[in-house]
Parts: sequence; structure tokens; C-alpha cells
Amino acid sequence: MNQLPIDIPLKNFHQNNGAKILPFAGFNMPINYKTGIINEHKNVRNHSGIFDVSHMGQILIENKESYLDKLEKYIPLKLKKLIKNRSHYSFLLNKDGGVIDDLIVSNIYIKNKSYLYIVYNASRKKEDEEIFISCAPNAEKIYNINCLFAIQGPDSFNVLKNIIDIPNNMNFFDILISKYNNNEIIVSRSGYTGEDGFELSLPNESAEKLITDLLKNKNTMLCGLGSRDSLRLEAGLSLYGHELNENITPIEAGLSWALDKERLEDKNLNGNKILSDQLKNKLSNKKIGLISTNKSMLRDGMKLFDNNNNEIGKITSGCFSPNLNKSIAIGYIKSEFNSDNPIFCEIRKKLELVKINNLPFVKKNYKKNGSTYE
Amino acid sequence: MGAHMSEKKYTKDHEWVSIENEIATIGISNHAQESLGDIVFIELPSVGNLVKAKDEICVVESVKAASDIYAPIDGEIIEVNNNLENDAAIINQDAENEGWIFKMKISDSNQYSELMSKDEYKQFLEQ
Repeated sequence: MNQLPIDIPLKNFHQNNGAKILPFAGFNMPINYKTGIINEHKNVRNHSGIFDVSHMGQILIENKESYLDKLEKYIPLKLKKLIKNRSHYSFLLNKDGGVIDDLIVSNIYIKNKSYLYIVYNASRKKEDEEIFISCAPNAEKIYNINCLFAIQGPDSFNVLKNIIDIPNNMNFFDILISKYNNNEIIVSRSGYTGEDGFELSLPNESAEKLITDLLKNKNTMLCGLGSRDSLRLEAGLSLYGHELNENITPIEAGLSWALDKERLEDKNLNGNKILSDQLKNKLSNKKIGLISTNKSMLRDGMKLFDNNNNEIGKITSGCFSPNLNKSIAIGYIKSEFNSDNPIFCEIRKKLELVKINNLPFVKKNYKKNGSTYE
Repeated sequence: MGAHMSEKKYTKDHEWVSIENEIATIGISNHAQESLGDIVFIELPSVGNLVKAKDEICVVESVKAASDIYAPIDGEIIEVNNNLENDAAIINQDAENEGWIFKMKISDSNQYSELMSKDEYKQFLEQ
């Protein structure tokens, strides 16, 4: 069944601000505004930019032992031991250790209760919510009542601190509840651009006021999903449906750092045996970064070849990189391929030489322990 | 632009064509440039190629996606806009003048007559 895309609460606001709106993951979303993707991208790297990501899933799951026990079958973290006011990048795993979705799990205290607050991909709502509800029948989806914004870029803290009470010593992946316009607002220092920044979840009725307040800073601007994609690609971050899917495990996707290794010994975790074996043995594929050697663009789905015309892998995401002024891509190739050998990408039936580049393409700029370093 | 320049006509694939002395100049419409967004690269066609209407001639790459450009009429590619090699964003700035992409010697001017006028193209976009 083909359903019409849903409008996010501030769709009219975005349209009035010059957004090009296109359907994405079942929602009418701002792709870019008048000055274009490249300008938005650079503004985030140099100053800051504001993204409306209200299409994403947001759910509150009560911090009850019986719920968390069930969720631990899917999420490779010790959910009962999560530190309060911290966020974690994690996954929902299927029986084979494949990624049902990647998500951010946080332990927060809101509405006088302790909750897991989970933010997940719009394109995976159906699959994810089936699991959440089966584990915690009273889980509260809050994306219909709360907008979600991201402010990203080196100026983010200075732009936000004038509007919302946030402590100076807040680190990357810290999360807290603050007040804005007499509403509780969930503030996490996070994002998906490789820059310092914050994600803000607040009731719809205060959302336009907040975005208007943020835009009073003359160096910030509205940014769409177009620049969000080129920013995350430069930062080497994986995107569901591209680098991640149900047939790829987090280890194969080069994300084993995000797994709690002790949980891999736990039979209750989906795919635990497969995952712990993968950690010990050589994988058949490896994730790589690629950079174009000429002006041609690398795109999702393009095939990769070695010197002897053998197919060795393919691209999962590709775009123009405004920072490098060249096309960049992420892909998977066979592990046995020696990265010193030349590698070619098939672009419109022609083989073009590409170069392997370590991920990320652009250094991450997160705020950790009071100082900023990769 | 010469005095014999014809009225600009448009295709359903959003190319524009104007004709002067049996030489057609072709580019993409302003509407096409707006929907593509930032154009970062164009793969220009080869001079000397003989092409048929609807053939894929070259590719325009924006940040987000690649988009094919088709020959609006039959003919021979006789010139390409080399300025676009270094700065494809000219198409964003002036799609229907400085952003022209290639010129063709055309063999059948009836094919040109069948294309949409500016008003017809405008109506087509509103549909």
C-alpha cells in the first residue's frame, strides 16, 4: 500500500523560508533552502546550521527491569547499567546479528520518571516499534507531540546558550532536560555531521518559537537533508539503508566499537554467537572510504573493480564533498584486496580510477572532557 | 547571440533549444537547474557525434544525483561549452544563456517545430 507522505509540524514554516520539500522516508522533508546544499554544508562546518529532523522516531520506554531484560535481546548494551544523562550509539539486532536499525539510546529522567529515550530512523519506524511495543507495551511514541531539531557546527553552543540553560561542561553524548517556553526540552549534545552540536526535542507548540529564536543569530541558517547527508558522509558516518541493513552486522560495518563486548557472551542477545565469532575471525568484506581522482561523481550502487577487471565490491553512499571539492564515497570491498593496488569504479560503463581514503574524510570536531579533539 | 536566433523551445525532459542558421544551441531549463540544485560536474558530449532525438547525450551531476540530458532533435554535435568543464555552476547561475551545453547541426527542422513554446512549457510545468 502506497501512503501519501506525512507533513512534519513545521512544514509551512519551512516552505515560507524557501525550503525545497521532497518526500523522504514517508515524510515531506526540507531537502535544501534557497542558497543550496553546498552553502548550507559550509555554514555548518564554519558556523552552525539548524536541521528539522522531526520525521525521526522518538520513544520513551519506562526504566523497568522486565522491559529492559526483553530489550536486551535486541540492543547490545547493558541497559540496566546505563549512566543517567548519557546517550549511546547502538543498534537493534536480528537473529543473525544483522542491523534492524541503528539508534541513540539515552537514560533520562523526565515527567517525574526514569526512561530510556530512543531516537531511531524514520524509515524503520514500523520494524522498530514492533520490537519496542513487544518489550514494553506502554512505550510512548513522542514524535507526534515533540519536534526534533539539530543545531550543528562549531558555534552551536554559543547560539544555544543564549536561549536555553545548558552547562558549560556538557560533553558530547551528554543529555539533560532543560526548560524552554515553560516546556520540558530534551537537550543532547550530539548530531550526525561530525561537528559539535545539539539535538533538541520539545513539544510541537513551542517548536516554531525555538527555531525562530535560534535563527536570530545571523551566522546560523536553516539546513535540509541534502547537506545533512554530505556532512555525515564527510564525517564517515554510516546511514541506514546504505552502509547498514539486516544482512550486515555492526562488526562487518566497522562499528564494533559500539558493541558492549561482554554482551556478546550473553546468549540472550540476538546473534551473539555470530558476532563473537566475527570478532575473532577475518571478515570477508571491509568498509572503505573512496575519493574520486577526477571530476566524476561516485554514487550509491556503483561497482568497484581491481586491476584485472574482477569485481571486488561496491559503493553504498557517494556524493560531492564541499570540503574536499571532489566526490567521496563509502563502500565495501573484499578483505583480501590489497589496498595498495589500484581500484576502479564503474561510472556509466567506464572504469575510473579512485583512491582509498581513510574514514573520516573530515576530522570530527566533538566536545569531549572540556576540550575538542577527534 | 545573433539576430537570426529563433524562439526558444522546450522538451518534456526540460532541455531548451534555439536555432540559428540550422545550428541548434541546447541547454537545460531554468526549472531543471532549480530542481537539480547545486550542479558540480557535467560530462560533456564528444564533438562529431551523430545523435538521434531522445538519445542520452551527456550527464549533469548535482550534489545529490546524476541526471541525463537527451538530444532534443537529430543531428551532429559540433561544439560544446568548455567553460562548464571548470565551472558547471554556470548552469545554476544562467541556465538559459551562458549555461548552454552543446550545439548541433540539425537535419530535420520539423522536429524543432514540434517542441513546446515557452508558454506551452510553462503550462506543462504547472500540470
